Amino acid sequence: MSESCGNPTVESEALMPKKIRFDRSTTCVKCKEQRGCLVIRHAVYCKDCFSALLPTRFRKALEPHINHAPDGPRRRALRPAGNLLLGVSGGLGSAVLLDVVHRTYTTRAVACDGVKGGREHPRGQKVWSTIRAAYVEVAGAFPGMKDRTEEVGEAVKRYEGIEFVPLRLEAAFDPAWWARVGQTSTADVSVDLNAEGTSLLADSPSASTPLDSLRNYLGRLPTPTAVQVAIAKLIRVLLLYTAHATSSSHVLLGTSLTSLSISLISSISQGGGFNVPQTMYEEWFPPGAERATESWRGEVRVIRPLRDVGTKECAAWAWWHALVVVGKERRPAAAQTIDGLTRDFIVGLEKDFPSTVSAISKTVGKLAPKGGTCGRCILCELPVQTDAHEWRARISIRTRSTQSDVPATLASSVALAPLFCYACHTTLTSRSSRSVAPTKASAPPPPPIVQLPVWAAAALSRLYSDTATEAEEIRTGGDRNVGEEVWKTRKLGEDEMRAAVGEFLFDT
Amino acid sequence: MAATLNLKVEFGGGLELLFDNVRSHRIALPAHVPSSRVPDSGSRTPRPANITFLIHWLKDNLLKERAELFVENETVRPGILVLVNDTDWELEGEGDYELKSGDEIVFISTLHGG
Repeated sequence: MSESCGNPTVESEALMPKKIRFDRSTTCVKCKEQRGCLVIRHAVYCKDCFSALLPTRFRKALEPHINHAPDGPRRRALRPAGNLLLGVSGGLGSAVLLDVVHRTYTTRAVACDGVKGGREHPRGQKVWSTIRAAYVEVAGAFPGMKDRTEEVGEAVKRYEGIEFVPLRLEAAFDPAWWARVGQTSTADVSVDLNAEGTSLLADSPSASTPLDSLRNYLGRLPTPTAVQVAIAKLIRVLLLYTAHATSSSHVLLGTSLTSLSISLISSISQGGGFNVPQTMYEEWFPPGAERATESWRGEVRVIRPLRDVGTKECAAWAWWHALVVVGKERRPAAAQTIDGLTRDFIVGLEKDFPSTVSAISKTVGKLAPKGGTCGRCILCELPVQTDAHEWRARISIRTRSTQSDVPATLASSVALAPLFCYACHTTLTSRSSRSVAPTKASAPPPPPIVQLPVWAAAALSRLYSDTATEAEEIRTGGDRNVGEEVWKTRKLGEDEMRAAVGEFLFDT
Repeated sequence: MAATLNLKVEFGGGLELLFDNVRSHRIALPAHVPSSRVPDSGSRTPRPANITFLIHWLKDNLLKERAELFVENETVRPGILVLVNDTDWELEGEGDYELKSGDEIVFISTLHGG
């Protein structure tokens, strides 16, 4: 102990012994024979045991959800209701997901040749009849960004038995894609973001192509964080409808434990707390379909089978199995977003406290949101919390745009806010303190009127069942077939406000 | 005593993009850390080259762009896995591992998302 009283400039190294990052010895904790090669949250594994560990964790996370009806006490053979769709991004998790799915489900029949039970034994049959890998290219959103579709396609084609499905982010605004996934086309719907989610039906400004609509949509969002979140939401829904169109009962994503923890913290910080259960496991059903109980009616289960595998393990797996990791293009200003900052924090935390990152995911997984649901968001198709917007209206400080900001042809409007979930509404309307601050620019910015994605337009169309008269109904404040009141908000003049609260004012 | 150590250095997970897009390099590293690199330069015995020195050497001699994506606080940036002869460097003493001729050091970035 006497050293602690010494001169710190001379004995700096002696004072701070480096903490050992693994428990007990360097021998593998599993086989207890070989020398370890990898430290996973303080436990040491040899290469052989690690190679068995990762697929086991993958199957443990996925296989309880494969059969449509849950297994009883006795485990049954794996019989999924539909096909399998993998959502790949070209990143590390996607590369590992592709590889493990290929090893587990396309080569399993061959691997079982020598196993007891013979060739006709159900164990030898393929679990999935068709496996596809869908990639959503976001290059269109950012001029100058490299298109990686071909590279990702080449990486997928290395795995025999997995079909490549290329998609583009602008498909979210493309009626042709909407028709290809088997949905009915509807009129365009636009939203004025200044007016806290006020829709401007039928009179939308004509954006000539889906790409223009996409760029207009992302360009009018209030913050760089909103842009990143909006892209992630568009990708998610594009994958869901693609899964439905390809008769896929399951969508697998390559979200690792680290990525999941980042996503959870980031999402909660942006008002997505109510949808935490869907981040862990989601069962999406197509519009118009009821949630089925016994038979499969086209529901899609979204599962993240690498949710117990950290990025370090993914990196080691990819290196030791010589996987091709295409990588992702850096998006402009991504590092300054809430997601980017959360990523930096969690990755830094994982280096010194690897178990804490696992604890985030495990703890958040136990959360149950308070309150009921009232339908689902027209934008992200996740459940909407009952009365979330009333609560928001009570506690938030708002800035109202003047009527002159809105073009005269688009003046007829209706409040859409209750049809968005809290997180989507926040994404569309929540401005940062910097963007709210007055700028020196003399010309006012153009009104942030954006076209909504095709599925949101279709959802609105279903709400107003007769599409031919929907605009007229809205203008006249007509009945919504859901039988709810239509609330309109507007800025009051000083005299009107005085008249409204007059009886409570003191005479001075 | 050899004046240099012959090492094989590899980059993966996209990290190679910072090193002229070349994944595998064979380098001759000084066997001892130059006195200018040692904080306590009063010491007379030369300090053998370790991974911390290799990281600095790579930064000064091979890195082509954006050093902040490779080095942070005198070590590799969080999110980069280092393997020493196919073994996690956390089992080998991390930056203090003393390099030997013929060692294979791999740097793999885990920051390419999922």
